Amino acid sequence: MAARSRYMHRAESVALYGFLVAVSLPIILPYFWLVTIAFSARTGVAETMVLWRSTLVLVPAVIAFWLTAMLARNRRQMWLGMAATALVAAIAFGLLVGPDLHLRNFIFLVEPDFASVVRSRVGEVHGAMQFPNVWHAFANSLLIAGAQTVIVVTVASLAAYYLSRWQFPGRAAMLRSLLVLHAFPVLTLIVPMFLMLYWIGLLDTLFGVILVLVAFELPFAIFIMKGFFDAVPWDIEMSALTDGASRRQAFLRVVLPQVRNGILAISVFTFIRGWEEYIFVFTFLVRNTNWTMSLYMYYVRDDVMGVDYGVVSAVGVFYLVPSLILYVAAQRYLMQMSIGGVKG
Amino acid sequence: MAATNELTIERRGHTRSAARRRANFVIFLGPAIVLTVLFFVIPVLIDIAVSFTDLSRSLRITKFTTEQYQRIFQGDRRLPQVIGLTFIYVFGTLAIFNVSFGLVLALATTSINKAAGGFFRGVWLLPRMSPSVLYILLWLWAINPSEVGLLNQVLMHAFGLSKPLDLMTAAPIALIIIANGFIGASLGMIIFTAAIRGIPEHLFHAARVDGAGTLAQIRFITLPALRWPISFVTIYQTLSLLVSFEYILLLTKGGPFYDTTVYALYVYRRAFESGQYGYGAALALFLIVIGVAVALLGWRFFDMERLLQRPRIEVL
Repeated sequence: MAARSRYMHRAESVALYGFLVAVSLPIILPYFWLVTIAFSARTGVAETMVLWRSTLVLVPAVIAFWLTAMLARNRRQMWLGMAATALVAAIAFGLLVGPDLHLRNFIFLVEPDFASVVRSRVGEVHGAMQFPNVWHAFANSLLIAGAQTVIVVTVASLAAYYLSRWQFPGRAAMLRSLLVLHAFPVLTLIVPMFLMLYWIGLLDTLFGVILVLVAFELPFAIFIMKGFFDAVPWDIEMSALTDGASRRQAFLRVVLPQVRNGILAISVFTFIRGWEEYIFVFTFLVRNTNWTMSLYMYYVRDDVMGVDYGVVSAVGVFYLVPSLILYVAAQRYLMQMSIGGVKG
Repeated sequence: MAATNELTIERRGHTRSAARRRANFVIFLGPAIVLTVLFFVIPVLIDIAVSFTDLSRSLRITKFTTEQYQRIFQGDRRLPQVIGLTFIYVFGTLAIFNVSFGLVLALATTSINKAAGGFFRGVWLLPRMSPSVLYILLWLWAINPSEVGLLNQVLMHAFGLSKPLDLMTAAPIALIIIANGFIGASLGMIIFTAAIRGIPEHLFHAARVDGAGTLAQIRFITLPALRWPISFVTIYQTLSLLVSFEYILLLTKGGPFYDTTVYALYVYRRAFESGQYGYGAALALFLIVIGVAVALLGWRFFDMERLLQRPRIEVL
C-alpha cells in the first residue's frame, strides 16, 4: 500500500515535470534561437544548426544537473557531480559550438551605416535605409526612461506621503479617483493625446513623450508608495516631531529612508516601462534622431530582416539584455511590491 | 488688553498654520494633481470635443457635426465584423490562456519542488519581461512561412509535414490569441500562485487523511480559495485585452486585410492610418466609457477600509 502510493506519487510528479517541460519549450526555444543566431550566423541566413547542436549539449547537461541534485547523498557529492557535469558540458560545447561563435553580427555597434554593409554582402548595393547611430537611440531610451523614473519617483513619493499622513477635505474622493485612474486603460487616450501634443507643439519631441509617460505611470506609483508609507510606524515620525522637526523635515530625513524598498521598486518598474515603451513613441515620435531603442529595433527588423538575420538578432540581444538584468536584479523588490502593494 | 493680545497671537498662529497647510498641500499634492488633470482629464474632454468635429488629416476643424456617430451606428459596414472579432479574441484569449492556462501553470508549479517551480514560472515570465518589439520579432521568426521558420522546421522534420505552413494567412485569429495568451497567462499564474501559497497547509493534510486524491484536493480546497483571484484576473484581463492592440499591430498589422483588426486597433488604424481623427475619437469614446466602468468595478476588489483609513496624527 505504502509502496503503491509512493509509486503513484512519483508517477504524478514525473507527469507534472513532463507537462511543464513540454509547454515551456515553445517559449525557451525561440529565445535560445535568438541568442545562438546573434553569436553564430555567418551568411545572414537564420540557420538552426547551431541551435540544435547547442541543445544537444545543454539538454543532457540540465538532466545531469537535475540527477546529481536528486541523487547526491550529501553536499560534497552534489558539488563534485555538478562540477564534473559543468566541465564535460563546457568541453562538449567548446568542441561542437565553439568554432561557430563570433561577434561580427554586432557590427551595428560600431558602424552606423551597417545596413549598406550587410546588403553589400549579399550583392545589393542600393536601397539600404539610413539608420541613426545605435548609441543615439540608446541615449534617447536612457533619457526617456531615466527622466521618467526621476519625475515619477519624486512626484509619487510626495503625493503618496501626503495621502497617507494628512487628513484633508476631499481625501476620500481623491483616493477613490486615484483607484479609478490606476485601473484606467491609458491606451484609449492615444488619439486625443496625439492631437493635444500637436496643438501645444510637443509632438515629435522627447519632452512631450516623457510627460505623457510620467502621467500614465503616476497613479500606479502613488498607489504602491502609499502602501509603503502606510506601513511605516507612526512612532518614528512622532518622535521626530516631538524632537522639534517640522513635518517636511520629518518626511525627508526620517520617513523617506524607511521606504527605500518602495522607491527602488517603482524606480525599476518605471525605468523598465520607459525602456520598453513602443506604441506611444511609435505614434508620437517621427524624426529618426528621436528614435528610441524600441523604434530602432522595429526598423532594423523591418529593413534588414529578409537580408541578415544575424544582425537583427544581435540588435535584439542588445535590446533585451538590459531589461532582463533589471528584472532579475529587482525581483526581490518587485515581489515586495505585489505583496505590500495593491494587488492583494 | 492682555486678553486681546493673546487672541491676536492665537489668531495669527491659526492663519499661519492654515497658510502652511495650504503650502504643504501645494508642495506635496500639487505636481501629481496638475499632471493627472493635464494628461487624463483634458484628453478625455478633447476626445469628446473632437468626436463632434470633422477633424481629419489636415488637422484643421472646419465644422461641428454629429456625422461621426451616425457613421458608427449606421454607415460603417466594417464595424460589425470588427466587434465580432473582438469578442472572439477577448474571450478566446481569456478562457484559454489568461485564466485556464494560468491556473494550470500555478497548480503545476506549486505542486513540484519549489526551485523547479520557480524556474518554470520564470520561463513563463520571459515573454512579459521582454520588450514587445522583441517578443513579436521572435514570433515572426518562429512562424516564418518558408522552411527556415522554427515552427516549420519542427513540423516538417518531426511531424513529416510536406509543405511549409503559413500561420499568418492560415489561422490569423488563432495566431493573435496564442501570441497574446503567452503573455497573459503569466499574470494569472503569479496571482494564483500567491493565493495557493496562502491556503493553510493543514487543510491539505486533513483532506489527505480523509482519503482525498489530488483532483479532489484541487476541486474542494484550492478552487474555492481562488474564487476572488479568478474573478479579479477575469475582469482586469478582459479590460486590458479589450483596449490593447500593441502585439497585434506589431505581429499582423491588423491584417491580412482587416482579419485581425480588433476594435482598439480599428480605432488606431482609422485615426493614424486613414487620418480620420474625428471618427477615431468617436470610436475611442466607447472604449473610454468601458474603461471607466470597469475601473469603477475595481472598487469592489480593494480593501476600501484600509485604503481610506484616517491618518492618526494631526501635526503640521
